[in-house]
Amino acid sequence: MARPGGAAAAAKRPVAEAGPGAAREGNPLLPAMCRVIKITDETPDVKTFRIQTADGAKPFDPMPGQLAMLSAMGVGEAMFSVTAKGEDWIESSIKRVGLLTEALHGLSEGDMIGVRGPYGNHFPVDAIKGRDLLFVGGGIGLAPVRSLIRYALERREDYGSLDVLYGSRSYDDLVFKSDIFENWPAVCNTHITIDNAEERWDGHVGFVPSYLEEKAFSPENRVVVLCGPPIMIKFCLESLMRMGFSKENVITTLEMRMKCGVGKCGRCNIGSKYVCLDGPVFTMSELDGLPDEK
Amino acid sequence: MELKKDRLLEALALLREGSDVALPLPADDGGEPAFRLWDGVQEPFLGSNTSLPPKELLFPRSEGMYGYNLKTGELSDILPEARTAVFGIRPCDVKSIENLDHAFLEKGYVDSYYRARRDGLTTIALGCSEAARTCFCDSMGVAPGDAPGADLMMNDLGDAYSVKANTEKGEAVAKLWEGLLSKGGAKAPAAPACGFSVKADDSLPDRLTARFDDPMWDSLSKACIGCGCCSFICPTCYCFDIGRENRGACGTAFRCWDSCMFSDYSRMAGGHNPRPSKKERLRNRYLHKLAYFSQRYGATLCVGCGRCIDKCPANLDITRVMDMMEGVDANG
Repeated sequence: MARPGGAAAAAKRPVAEAGPGAAREGNPLLPAMCRVIKITDETPDVKTFRIQTADGAKPFDPMPGQLAMLSAMGVGEAMFSVTAKGEDWIESSIKRVGLLTEALHGLSEGDMIGVRGPYGNHFPVDAIKGRDLLFVGGGIGLAPVRSLIRYALERREDYGSLDVLYGSRSYDDLVFKSDIFENWPAVCNTHITIDNAEERWDGHVGFVPSYLEEKAFSPENRVVVLCGPPIMIKFCLESLMRMGFSKENVITTLEMRMKCGVGKCGRCNIGSKYVCLDGPVFTMSELDGLPDEK
Repeated sequence: MELKKDRLLEALALLREGSDVALPLPADDGGEPAFRLWDGVQEPFLGSNTSLPPKELLFPRSEGMYGYNLKTGELSDILPEARTAVFGIRPCDVKSIENLDHAFLEKGYVDSYYRARRDGLTTIALGCSEAARTCFCDSMGVAPGDAPGADLMMNDLGDAYSVKANTEKGEAVAKLWEGLLSKGGAKAPAAPACGFSVKADDSLPDRLTARFDDPMWDSLSKACIGCGCCSFICPTCYCFDIGRENRGACGTAFRCWDSCMFSDYSRMAGGHNPRPSKKERLRNRYLHKLAYFSQRYGATLCVGCGRCIDKCPANLDITRVMDMMEGVDANG
């Protein structure tokens, strides 16, 4: 029963009242207009966008693993993990795969970007205190994991040993190069691999699952945080099971198509769970209890 | 209290002084009867339930969400200011609104657009005195003669309607109608039983999920043509898409009905689709109706109105799916 004149009768509210941090109080579907303040080229098809509100503040304060709905105004919006946060900014790393990400990749520093969030649950930062952490990433899958790596590095004394095992198709496709080659090797163990040998690469060559088994990490007191393409997750999980890890100690983060981000629009369900609200972070044992529609 | 039938239009006219009034009305062009805004003259269509559900009173097929200016970045909410009284809504459809309330108002986030329309809606229900051949509401926990969730309940007494307020909003309507109501209100004749019944007890969600990998989904989905009609006419289907319409430097973000039966509903950028064929989509729709929604909100997302049975061009039948669950062990 579309009432004509809806727009004319619209209750106009200034943007400031509905900042993304106030999502639960205000209209949860209304983005706040923010700005891209820095763009980093990670790979030929991945860029990292540093985002700030118009008045120079952090759009919201996400926990590691939480999500942000980002929009290129007039084009569309989609959900991305927040890969890092600072005093007055958040960052998302975005691979160019479709219409919207193409538009986001066309943005320049200073351009406007719509933001709402934070959405979803987060990595169980308290439950894994005192444990050794093994982060396993493939391709752009390092982006959500990075939020937890940064969190653990900032609270180094809360966690045991930290290992980052990360692989990509080629050297060019490795994301966050300054982290994986400079920042992290100084403070934790890094194990980097690429799928095929290249002349300029003298590191490990091979797929992530086999490198994982080669490294023979002990399951003793260790939690694995795993994110990457579905096929990599499948084989890594098989490797981890062979290595003696239990599914309760393997955590992953899922993605699904989303429109609303608040559990209403319907499409990101796996069984009775909504990835936008109940996820994106699940343990492998939790996923075992859900229908196989990932 | 009771309202003589020959004073119904007067009563509705009184309502119309303070709000929009929606009634089951036939389409001007002879199309499907639906809940439409009353012009103050037309006679309501009360012979049977409408072909189209009343959900668009709360969740329009398409509605503006916010406007934006591409140059300045200014955003403005388009929150509806609807005040509508609906007369002639049937007990199954009243139940469907309770379901929509769960979906739009619970689990941490309140949908502002739905909330505004819901607060402005008064439901005046009419009990059924005849069951259509596709009705099975009494199997789904709905009493065809009573809608406890309605603001005001009316039943057909022959030459009058009984009138009973269930809520404050309902009492306000009864007060408005004071001069038209007369004492009485004989007990409404017992509502007829639906023509057939299905077994939809508390174990249905578990019995269904136990058959997630059953070949029955292959055979059922062979007939489906993926038209999405079932979602469109379902009073409880609430999935939506969000789109944008640009005009020069300005634009509007809007949302519109969507259907889980469409292939691009869950297809991600890059092409991966967790529900790639009709089989997965049909299974997801039935499981959402009969299992997932109950597991999440404690209510079945089917009210037994029978519209999808009546309209599916491929003769798919949700009650057949429930019947196929007879004898299935809930523990797999």
